[in-house]
Amino acid sequence: MSQQLYLSSSPHIHSGETTSDVMRAVLFSLLPACVVAVYFFGPPALAVLLIATLGCMAAEVICQCLMGQPVSSADGSAAVTGVLLAFNLPPTSPWWLTLLGAVIAIVIGKQVYGGLGSNPFNPALVARVVLLISFPVHMTTWSLPAPLGSGLDLVTTATPLGVWKNAVMLTGHAPPEMQAGTLSFFLGDMPGCVGEVSALALLLGAAYLFYRRILTWHIPVAYLGTVVLLSGIFWLVNPEKYPDPVFHLVTGGLILGAFFMATDMVTTPVSMTGMLVFGVGCGVLTVMIRLFGGYPEGVSFAILLMNAATPLIDRYTRPKAFGMPRGEGWR
Amino acid sequence: MTLSHIFRKGLWRENAVFRLLLGLCPALAVTTSAENGLGMGLATTFVLVCSNLVISALRKIIPPRVRIPSFIVVIASFVTVVQLCMEAYFYDLYKALGIFIPLIVVNCLILGRAEAYASRNRLVPAVVDGLGMGFGFSLSLFVLGAVRELFGSGTLMGYSVFGLGYEPLLLMILPPGAFIAMGLLLAGMNRFDARSR
Amino acid sequence: MNGMPRMILVLTLITASAGLILSLVEAVTREPIAEQRRLETLRALKSVLPPTDNAPDADTVQLVIGQDRRGRDLVRTFFRGRRDAELAGVAFKVVAPDGYSGDITVMVGIDPIGTVSGVEILIHNETPGLGDKITRPEFKGLFAGRSLENADWRVKKDGGEFDQITGATISPRAVVGAVRRGLEFFRDHRAEIVATQEGGMP
Repeated sequence: MSQQLYLSSSPHIHSGETTSDVMRAVLFSLLPACVVAVYFFGPPALAVLLIATLGCMAAEVICQCLMGQPVSSADGSAAVTGVLLAFNLPPTSPWWLTLLGAVIAIVIGKQVYGGLGSNPFNPALVARVVLLISFPVHMTTWSLPAPLGSGLDLVTTATPLGVWKNAVMLTGHAPPEMQAGTLSFFLGDMPGCVGEVSALALLLGAAYLFYRRILTWHIPVAYLGTVVLLSGIFWLVNPEKYPDPVFHLVTGGLILGAFFMATDMVTTPVSMTGMLVFGVGCGVLTVMIRLFGGYPEGVSFAILLMNAATPLIDRYTRPKAFGMPRGEGWR
Repeated sequence: MTLSHIFRKGLWRENAVFRLLLGLCPALAVTTSAENGLGMGLATTFVLVCSNLVISALRKIIPPRVRIPSFIVVIASFVTVVQLCMEAYFYDLYKALGIFIPLIVVNCLILGRAEAYASRNRLVPAVVDGLGMGFGFSLSLFVLGAVRELFGSGTLMGYSVFGLGYEPLLLMILPPGAFIAMGLLLAGMNRFDARSR
Repeated sequence: MNGMPRMILVLTLITASAGLILSLVEAVTREPIAEQRRLETLRALKSVLPPTDNAPDADTVQLVIGQDRRGRDLVRTFFRGRRDAELAGVAFKVVAPDGYSGDITVMVGIDPIGTVSGVEILIHNETPGLGDKITRPEFKGLFAGRSLENADWRVKKDGGEFDQITGATISPRAVVGAVRRGLEFFRDHRAEIVATQEGGMP
């Protein structure tokens, strides 16, 4: 008997897909939105993208060297965090703000918990929220898009959601000119964060991820569906005061959040039911924060809060264990 | 155990905030500046030393079954004394610490030392224990406050450190910053201990 | 002596001595505490009023400015500062209910004809780094020298002439509105506020 039985616990089959394969696909899917960002916001957006990505990768290498761990920066997860962070920053962010965000994302959002796979919160969103709370002026200074070749300078302005919130607080109803520009919002011709502006480019990237089967439909559909349903109800009750669901869909980074942030494998539930619950929770929180909260934009807070609820959701949506006596599941 | 051992254990090895994780409520809530942290720490130290003194002195008189109410009455009295004196003579600090002065009563550290140490030991060790624990607590709050103030306001004890161009990391003086600073300091302390062992 | 009687005796003794000590400390600190509270009001009054030589907190008049939800009277105290027995200015508190988070209490000082001499933010819970810039001298300084007649009491964003703070409009708007309402109240009730008991106690 030269052959010995090899005992191991599940999973027994490896799909052949590695972390770096997934990360490379995600990076590729983010490319269209990068191109649109650079087209609309020019060199400043490119600078934010480069600083955030390189900053995240450098922070990861330094962190892992300090902790005496094998350096895993080549798997691309730090680069994905960096690009997503850049997508969540205003294009006019000063270099130190972007760099600080990159360090916070990697150190406080990820490595403190033990690196990739152990972080409870989406690192890029952690950094965004820390920056938003710490530097509210920088993080809420937006500029109008100035497409390359148009010769325009970036002009300071408010985001569509910000304009709307301000108008409601001041006059009690939505600003009249708001409803016009839905198509240009969809294409990305609006003030906002680097990567959130073009719903079209983001959807292209998401379609690729669906094709590669890296994304499943559960979270985005549950998330967007809840937002449409809930905001639709408010809009039907009082269209004077609440914007219509389409406006909600195309503004404020909802598409970015629903397809690229709320679907992060590490920080979201594993089962199908869990993902649906997660998506619905994100949707409810987003609409509530947008309509009744202090901030005009609620996607990042909603996703972070649901990240915190993920272990609980996983606990209650555990799949049935076959071959066990009734009532005796995994503990 | 010598008196100096008793005193020193509160500073590091049994540090209230970073080792026993006691008294976290004030440690996280009032440490928005080094000065606030120090003020809160010293006020707590005063209450701790006085309550240890009285409880140790009365340890043979207080019947075990009513010891907790007795301890609480003693502690609450000293807290009220501190509160009145602070309002009378350190009004700005009183304003800054606000509700957390009366809440010293429910600081687990104080009742914990009364129950675990003062009620079982003689007068002098009890007072030294209170001093050590109190100074350890004050030191922790001061360091926590200093770190948060340095990054959150760019100042230290009210003096500008980084100059005018510094844009403070506001989060550090808000509640989440307390938890982040506390966690990082705790990690640093563990790292130091692991190295020196 | 053991058991119940002893417990009762010991607890009684401890609480009684605690009460005794506390009453002693209270007696000692009563004066300084009252003084500190008075100084706090006085400091705020000094910073908003023109120079005075009386104690404005002792020269007050109280007027009913409306009813609260339960129908009780809301009273506003007007502190009057004098110089050489002449009325130099009046100070009063106004509350802005429409701040970003909670009420903002503002002390307003005006001269006898209704021009603002200074404002001071007493209580607020505005966002650190944004709304709390209303406590900065640059913002408070905007008010001095303005009156209902010579200024448009709105923030710039709404078409008025008060600079809002970068990134925050709501808090300044609330403060400007509250001060304006205070000035209007003063204009409508000037006679009652200024006239009574020259230099005397209320």
